[in-house]
Amino acid sequence: MSEAVATQPTPWFRASFKEWIFTTDHKKIAVLYGMTSLLFFSVAGLMGMAIRFELTAPGVQFLDPDLYNYLLTGHGAVMLLWWAIAFWGAFSNFLIPLFIGARDVAFPRLNQLSYWWFFSASILVLITLIPSENIRMMWTGYPPFSLNDNAGPTAIYVLIIILIAGSTLGTGVNFITTVLRMRAKNVTLGNTNLMTHALISSIVVQLVGVPAFVGAVIMLFLDKYIGTQFFSASSGGDPVLYQHLFWFYSHPAVYVMILPAFGVFSEVLSTMSQKPIFGRVSMIWAIWGIAGLGFIVWAHHMFTSGMPDWLRIFMSFTTVLIGVPTGIKIFNWVATLHKGAIKLNTAMLFTLGGIFMFLIGGLTGIPLALPAFDIHVHDSAFVVGHFHYVLGMAVTLGAFSGVYYWYPKITGRMINEAIGKTSFWLIIVGSNLLYFPMMMAGLEGMPRRYVDYPEIQYWIDMQEIATVGGVLLMIGVIVTFIAWFKGLSGPEAGRNPWNSNSLEWRLASPPPPHNFDSYPVEVDEDWTPYKY
Amino acid sequence: MQEAAVHSEHETSVWPMVVGASVLLAAMSLLTYFHWQQPTLGVILAGLTVAVLAIGVTGWAREFFQHGTEEGLGPIAVAAFIISEVIIFGTVFVTFWLYRITHFDTWGSYVPEGLDATFAIWLTLILWSSSFTIVLSERAFSRGDKNGAMTWLIATIVLGSLFVVLHMNEWVHLVDEGFTVSSNVFGSSFYALTGVHTSHVLVGLGIHLVLLSVLANGMMTSDRPTFYKGAALYWHFVDIMWLLVAANAYLIGGSA
Ligand SMILES: [Cu+2]
Repeated sequence: MSEAVATQPTPWFRASFKEWIFTTDHKKIAVLYGMTSLLFFSVAGLMGMAIRFELTAPGVQFLDPDLYNYLLTGHGAVMLLWWAIAFWGAFSNFLIPLFIGARDVAFPRLNQLSYWWFFSASILVLITLIPSENIRMMWTGYPPFSLNDNAGPTAIYVLIIILIAGSTLGTGVNFITTVLRMRAKNVTLGNTNLMTHALISSIVVQLVGVPAFVGAVIMLFLDKYIGTQFFSASSGGDPVLYQHLFWFYSHPAVYVMILPAFGVFSEVLSTMSQKPIFGRVSMIWAIWGIAGLGFIVWAHHMFTSGMPDWLRIFMSFTTVLIGVPTGIKIFNWVATLHKGAIKLNTAMLFTLGGIFMFLIGGLTGIPLALPAFDIHVHDSAFVVGHFHYVLGMAVTLGAFSGVYYWYPKITGRMINEAIGKTSFWLIIVGSNLLYFPMMMAGLEGMPRRYVDYPEIQYWIDMQEIATVGGVLLMIGVIVTFIAWFKGLSGPEAGRNPWNSNSLEWRLASPPPPHNFDSYPVEVDEDWTPYKY
Repeated sequence: MQEAAVHSEHETSVWPMVVGASVLLAAMSLLTYFHWQQPTLGVILAGLTVAVLAIGVTGWAREFFQHGTEEGLGPIAVAAFIISEVIIFGTVFVTFWLYRITHFDTWGSYVPEGLDATFAIWLTLILWSSSFTIVLSERAFSRGDKNGAMTWLIATIVLGSLFVVLHMNEWVHLVDEGFTVSSNVFGSSFYALTGVHTSHVLVGLGIHLVLLSVLANGMMTSDRPTFYKGAALYWHFVDIMWLLVAANAYLIGGSA
C-alpha cells in the first residue's frame, strides 16, 4: 500500500496567496494557527523577558507598576491561550485527519471559521498594546479588581475570552465529529495513536470547561457595564463565585495544555526506541482519567479564598489522586525505553527533557495540593516556578519535540540535528536556571506579581540566577527558530525517516494536497501505529 | 465513501471569512458602545454586523447546497455543541442557587409583586407548541411536502417570536415596577436566567429564518435533511431548557 503513492505530486503547501487565505484544507489551517501562535509566543516571551529584567534587582528599574501589571497580564494570557493551547490547535489540525486516514475534518468551512474567531481574538489582543487599552487584571481577571478602572478595559478582556472560546467550541465540535465518524476502515478508538486520544481529550475538556469561563466573564461584563450585582460583595454578590467558575475551566485547562504534550512524548518515545508503547491501553485510560479527574480539583487554586473544610479536603484528595494516572504514564514511558533501540536525536531529546521538566513540576505540585503547605506558599514565587516547569517547559518542550518529530512530514525536509541539539541544551539548562531559583525564592517567602521587592540578599541572588537562565532560554528558543527556518532547505526526508507504522508516514513527505491517494483508506485488522 | 470527491471541489471558501468578519465587528461594536462609550457608532457597527453576518450566512448556505454533498454529520456536531450549552446554562443556575441559598432569610423581600408564575405557564405553552410545530414541519419536509414544511416552519417562527415579545413585555413591566438587574441578587440572576434563555431563542429564530429561505428558494430538498435535523435538535434543546429556567426563575425564585 505504501508503494502506491510513489510518484511525488505537488506538495500541499504550494498554493497561491488567495488559496492560503480562503483555504479549508486542514493542513493550511494548521499552519495559520501555528504561525499566529508562534508570533504571539514571541511577543509574550519578550514580555516575560522585560519582567525578568525588572525583577533582577530590587527597586523599580525601568517598568512603572501599571506597565508591569500589563506585561504580567499579557505574558500570562497570551502564553496560556495563544501558545500552550492554540499551538496544539495547529497539531490537531495537521495531524488528526492524517492519523485516522481521513481526507479532511468533518466540517472544513467551520474549521476555517474557527480560525477567524481566533484571528479576531488576536486583533483584540493587539489592541491592548495601545497604552490606554492596556489590560492589567491578570489573566485570571478576578473581581473586584477587574471591575476597577485601574485594571484597564474589562470589556476587552471579556471579549478576548469569548472570541477565543468561540474558536475553541467550533474546533471542538468539528474534531469530535471527525474522530467519531471519519476514521478509516479498521482504525478504531482502541488502536488509533495515543496522540489522537491526547488531542481529542484536550478538546473534550475544552468543550465542557470553556463555557463556565465564558459564563463567568459575561457576568463580569454585566457587573461592570449593566450594573448587575453578581460579584459585588457590598450588594450581596459573591466574588469567590467568579473564582469557582473560573477555575472550573482553568484548572482543566492545564490538561488541555499538557495532555497533547503527553501525546507527543508517547509518539516520539515509541518511534525513537522502535518499541511499541508500553501499556498502551493503560495509557488511553490514564489520558481520559486525567481529563475527567481534572474537573473535580479546581478549588486547590483557592485554598486561601475561603471555603468549607470538606471542600478543601475533598479537592486536596482528588488533586493528589491525579498523581496516579500521571504516574502510570511516566512509568510506561520509562518502560518503553527499556531495551529499546534508542535514537537520541533532537525530537527525542526534547521529549526526554519535557518528561524531566514535567516530573519536577509534578513533584512540586503534590505538596501544593495539600492545604497545610499551600497556604504558606500561596501567591509566592514558588507557585510561579512550579507552573512554569509544567505549563511553561513541559508543554513547550513537548510542542517543540512535536515540531521536530513531524517536521520531515510537514516540510519534506530534515532539520540540522546539530542546531536542534544546541537549542535543546540551551533551553534545558536555561529553563532550570530560570525556574528552580524562583521556587527557592518562593520558599523563602518571595511573593509573586509585585514589581518591587525588599533588599533581601537571598532573593536577589535567586533573581540574578533566574535572569541568566532566562537569557539562555531565550537564546535557545531563537536557535530552534533558526533550525526550523534553515531546515526548509535541508536534505530531503523521504516518506518515513523515523520508520514508524503510524498512518501519516505512509504519505509522501510533504503530503499531497488531498492526503491519501485513494479513499476509503484501509488498514489491516491488527494494525497499530506502534508496530516495528 | 465520497468524501474525497466532496472536499476536493472546495479547497477554498470565502464565506467563513465573511462570517468571521461579522464576529470581529460584533466585538468591536460592543467595545465601542460600552467601553469607548460611543453609543451611536456602536449601534451602527451592530447594524453592520448583522448585515455582514447575513451576507456570509447566505453565501455559505448557497455554497453548501449547490456544491457540497450531504455527509449527515451535522446532528453529531449539534449534540456536542449542546453539551457546552448545558454548561453555559449551568453557570447561571449555579449562580442563581448560590444566591437563593445564601440569601435565604431575606429572599422574600427581593421578589417583586408582578412576578407571576401563571404567566410563565403561558410562555411555556407557547414555546412548547413551537417544538410541536417544528416536528410537523420536519415530517412534511421529509415527505417532500414543501408547502406543509414551510407553513409549519412559519408557525414555529411566529410562536417563537410571540414568546420573545411577550417575555420582553414582561421584563418592561417588571422594570417599571422597580425590579431591575441592579435591585438585588435575585434581580441579577432572574434576568440572567431568562436573558440567557431568550438569547438562545433568538439564535434559534435566526436559524429558522435561514432554514425558511433555503426551503423557499428550493435549495434544500428532502434528500438533504442534515441542516434541518440539526436546527430542530437545537430548537428542542432550547425549549427543554425553558422548563428548567422557568421553574427556577418563577417558582423557586418567586417563592419567598
Ligand atoms: Cu489546578
